[in-house]
Amino acid sequence: MDRDDIPPGMTAQPLSRRAALRQGGATTLAAARLLAPALFVGCSTGAPPRQQTVSVGLLHSQTGTTAVGGRSLRDIEMHAFELINAAGGILGRQVEMTAPNPRSRDELRLVKARQMLDRGAVAVFGCWTSAARKSVLPLFEEYKRLLLYAVQYEGNESSPYCVYGGMTPNQQILPLLDWLTGAAGGEKKRIFLVGSDYVFPRTANFITKKYLKAKGLEPVGEEYVPLGDRNFSAVVKKIREAPADCVINTVNGDSNVGLFAALAEAGIEPIWLPVISTSIAEDELRSLLPEQVVGHYAASCYFQSLDTDANRQWVKGFQNEFGYDRVTGDPLEPAWCLVHLWKQAVEKAGTFETEAVRQAFRDGLEFAGPGGRVRLDPKTQHTTKYFRLGRIRPDRQFDIVHQSRGPIDPDPYPQIAFPGWSCDWTQDGVVRGAEVDINGDV
Amino acid sequence: MFRPESWYWLYDIPPARLSVLFIAAFVGFYWVGAILIRPILRQLVKHTAGCNDIVGYVLSCFCVFYGLLLGLIAVTAYQNVADANENVTREAAALSALYEDVSRYPDPHGQNLRWLLRDYTRYLIKYGWPLQQRGIVPEEGTIRAEAVHDQLLEFQPRTPAEEIVHAEALRQFNNFLECRRMRLFSVTSALPASMWYVMILGAIFNIAICWLFDMRFLTQLILGGILAAYLGMMMHLIFDMNQPFRGDVSISAEPFEMLYERMNEG
Repeated sequence: MDRDDIPPGMTAQPLSRRAALRQGGATTLAAARLLAPALFVGCSTGAPPRQQTVSVGLLHSQTGTTAVGGRSLRDIEMHAFELINAAGGILGRQVEMTAPNPRSRDELRLVKARQMLDRGAVAVFGCWTSAARKSVLPLFEEYKRLLLYAVQYEGNESSPYCVYGGMTPNQQILPLLDWLTGAAGGEKKRIFLVGSDYVFPRTANFITKKYLKAKGLEPVGEEYVPLGDRNFSAVVKKIREAPADCVINTVNGDSNVGLFAALAEAGIEPIWLPVISTSIAEDELRSLLPEQVVGHYAASCYFQSLDTDANRQWVKGFQNEFGYDRVTGDPLEPAWCLVHLWKQAVEKAGTFETEAVRQAFRDGLEFAGPGGRVRLDPKTQHTTKYFRLGRIRPDRQFDIVHQSRGPIDPDPYPQIAFPGWSCDWTQDGVVRGAEVDINGDV
Repeated sequence: MFRPESWYWLYDIPPARLSVLFIAAFVGFYWVGAILIRPILRQLVKHTAGCNDIVGYVLSCFCVFYGLLLGLIAVTAYQNVADANENVTREAAALSALYEDVSRYPDPHGQNLRWLLRDYTRYLIKYGWPLQQRGIVPEEGTIRAEAVHDQLLEFQPRTPAEEIVHAEALRQFNNFLECRRMRLFSVTSALPASMWYVMILGAIFNIAICWLFDMRFLTQLILGGILAAYLGMMMHLIFDMNQPFRGDVSISAEPFEMLYERMNEG
């Protein structure tokens, strides 16, 4: 009934409950219709979208004896994944990194690795020493997930659940021996071997002895000190007494501080007794006094001073992100390449599932890294490497004095030391040869 | 049972929209109640002479207590945010002083420590802060702080000047650790559930008393709607300040961002 229809003499009645309800309902609906897009549609678009994530583990010691290298590896891997995330992630998923601290302790490393795998890490990048890698590898085989290991190692190992990004002995030790015993290296014949007492130095030196024996030579001495030990005065005395004409140094971590201090104290000069280190990169050089190490050598696949555009750009990107005085080095470059090779494999597989990713390795993945192009060998799950020899400069960098003509294919079982052994994960896996005792007679 | 943390997803909604949502929820509740519950409640007082005066008196008494409660809670929540903010500023200041101190160390100790402190700051800005904004205590900062501690203890001063700098660095490091620990505590600090019970029930009682007024329906909707809207705004304000690192009124990583910029200047 309209207000105009009210008969004369009658007053307008207050709004009836029913009418008020009807009006209220209509108003509420109208208000809801007006506000709903802003409240609900807007909410879902206004807030940053929650992208799906995938978990990846970074298993590097951030305190303890191997912390210096471990922290750098963690940083470069984080940097690589941050850039990947910024470009949209992998298979549309953002990579979520977990980086616990195993504190350079074996038992803790195992606990942390298991925690990461239990929490769904699809792959883990990690470990510094071979002992560390060997301690966690059975766990990865049990969980059937990939461990991606970026540091140079001794070979004599192959696991379907490990991708090895560092140099094998045929990419580091053997080319180094070729150079040392050749004209370019001064035809050295009195080689002294010094190393930390764990699996890498012992195996590397076993291969060295085999090589030397094949050339009719033998080392003039072989000494080991416990990992982390800095007392080298007795070892240096033996080097002097040998007398050696060069030292191959497989000492790892901050023990090198003690070794080079003892060498300098004994008055040993690189000009007449060069030390060629296999486990010293730019990061380790920072802890060593330049006056004690300048002129000595390091065998590696990469040096920061590598004079290419790709390398300069990469180094600059790392320093922009982590600080103007940060340095790159051998294990950082392989770690960077490993992240990208794994990304490629996942994208080829279209899934993060380990077996599918391993199948994707068979496509022969390649990546243009800062140190040159690397290829992932599907047979061994190792990467191709350049061999480079650097002489230490006063500014804690290296002059590259020798470089292999091209990338060297990996061989985890050099026949000179492990006859009959081979590995092909595209076929039957590891073919075993005669048992080899690396601590036994050569 | 009401658990405040089960409502923390609301922090993911942009602040302006969350404010509208709070107001709409309160006004909507009032209007729906005015339509559905008011007729029942009105039965209780409709035959009482001067019922509006009585209801008005009760409402004003109630509002005094409720307003005081809301005001005090709002001040407490703001104080929590302010305290946490002060802690963050003190942590950044201690970190900055520590960075200066260790820059006087001989290399490689000095360089290692500078790297570690930069690493800590970078982690905090890039990873720690976003986690805090989701109400999660960032764990990996502890690893980085431990690494700094280890490196500090590794340094053996050789001269009296180095001894003084080292002692000062250790003092700053302890300051930093203290502030850091307090910041981590405040990540999950929030008003207890009992306070939320009292606030929410108080708001419902407030609204219910308004339904008892005898007035034109439209007037009821408008006046009550205004009161409900203000209650919604107050609740939003308190909710926003409830957790120091979440919501619109939250602490930013700016002191650390400024410090990191300076650390990278070289």
